Amino acid sequence: MSELWEILGYQFFRNAIGAAVLTAILAAMVGTYIVSRKIVFIGGGITHASFGGIGLAYFLGWNPFLGAALFAVLSGLGIEWISGRGKVREDSAIAIIWSFGMALGIIFVFMTPGYSPNLMGFLFGSILTVVTGELYLLLLFCLLTALFFAVFFRPVVHTAFDPEFSAVMGLRVGFFRYAMAVIMALAIVISIRTIGIILVLSLFTIPQLTAMVFTRDFARIMPLAAFWGITGSLAGLFAAYALNIPSGAAMVFFLTFQFLLIKAVDTAWRQIGRRSRPLRK
Amino acid sequence: MSSPLVILEKLTTGYGSEAVLREVDLKVFPNDFIGVIGPNGGGKTTLVKAILGLIPLFSGRIRFPGGRPKTGYLPQASQIDKSFPITVREVVGSGLVASPSWFPHLARSQKKRVRDMLEDAGLAAVAHRPIGELSGGQLQKALLSRALINQPQLLILDEPNTFVDKTFEEDLYRWLRELNKDMAILLISHDIGTISPLVKTIACVNGLLHYHPSNQISEEVLKVYNCPVDIIAHGPIPHRVLKQHAHE
Repeated sequence: MSELWEILGYQFFRNAIGAAVLTAILAAMVGTYIVSRKIVFIGGGITHASFGGIGLAYFLGWNPFLGAALFAVLSGLGIEWISGRGKVREDSAIAIIWSFGMALGIIFVFMTPGYSPNLMGFLFGSILTVVTGELYLLLLFCLLTALFFAVFFRPVVHTAFDPEFSAVMGLRVGFFRYAMAVIMALAIVISIRTIGIILVLSLFTIPQLTAMVFTRDFARIMPLAAFWGITGSLAGLFAAYALNIPSGAAMVFFLTFQFLLIKAVDTAWRQIGRRSRPLRK
Repeated sequence: MSSPLVILEKLTTGYGSEAVLREVDLKVFPNDFIGVIGPNGGGKTTLVKAILGLIPLFSGRIRFPGGRPKTGYLPQASQIDKSFPITVREVVGSGLVASPSWFPHLARSQKKRVRDMLEDAGLAAVAHRPIGELSGGQLQKALLSRALINQPQLLILDEPNTFVDKTFEEDLYRWLRELNKDMAILLISHDIGTISPLVKTIACVNGLLHYHPSNQISEEVLKVYNCPVDIIAHGPIPHRVLKQHAHE
């Protein structure tokens, strides 16, 4: 126990806890949209395309996250545009953007002279090195995303659920879809710092799936996903410290573990028939 | 005679560069009840999408002499993602999110309208359930409630009788007769036998549009219109002459 208090005394670990909580909240909001619209694959495309931006930024001497954000936003808007036009198979287009982004990243990193960036940090995250300034940036983006959802919650949900009917009702479907593509891209890039490119999508999907064991109401999934995201992330963070294992991987392990556990309990509950209704309301 | 709600003039439209409908003329008056029939791929849904402003026009124009009418739209049930996490109440309430209101909360009076609508449709007990848990009939009721909650002047229904049982279909047609007293209705169906006793006039759509100013139409006339429709059997007797089709 004293060891726990000791670790909490370090600024870097308090920052890591803050980053884990804020990333979980951000991912809960944006991930609920991603999972509900069944566009997880698009999220994967954006995530991996951003690596091209990281490589380019290293090559040009920019801030890597600026490059990642640029590539992520452009790929998010591009994928949304392609899916709206329906001329190219959406999954094929995503696969191209996904692999092309990664290829560009590798080429640029390879070409960068005299400096070998810590690729592992981007691929698997480095939450323990998050500095206070980055926390403020994360907090700011979290608040802006929450504000966007607070103001536009219903149109965002309605245009995601039935874009055609929403258009008939006069909603600006294109605006909300593109706005969400930008928010998705930026949320993913900001979360890369916490959990890395390879694993970031887990934060945008697993807590939502866990929440959906309990509810099928978009408005309720968000806070529940935040709760399960926070518990899984913090459990992973402390386990990573205690066992000296990579934090990103530990977080994904606990997110998945709690999902499987809850799903198993729900399934058993139904089969045993101790309750006439499942956990979900 | 009152002025038309919608006028289609020499309308050509489709998808990409492919025209699905060519040179279509149609007028929809208040209290019209038009059955839109035609073969699959003939352009029935394209016609309503053009009226709804969902697809661009290649040529011709659509006029709304009294301004764009408030329109209720019931899409094909197959278009609805039943796994989307949204409640029945939210779906019905989405019919009230009309431009330019972007803000999230419904006014108290609007919430009451949603409650009343759910009550009228017999959906009050499932208001908080996700739509994925509804039966085919309940889903259609929810979608119809969504289309009606804004008290439209024009109601457009795309194949409303798919995935529903006979009882619901009869209920639906009874409601539509009532609703037609207050609004114009365009009802898309590939099954003319079922809708002909219900509608007042028929639009046969198969690339072109032939307006038939009666609900009685024979197979010969359909041939003249080049509008082969799928005849869904309602019994052992094929629909040779639809005029003779007795619909219980």
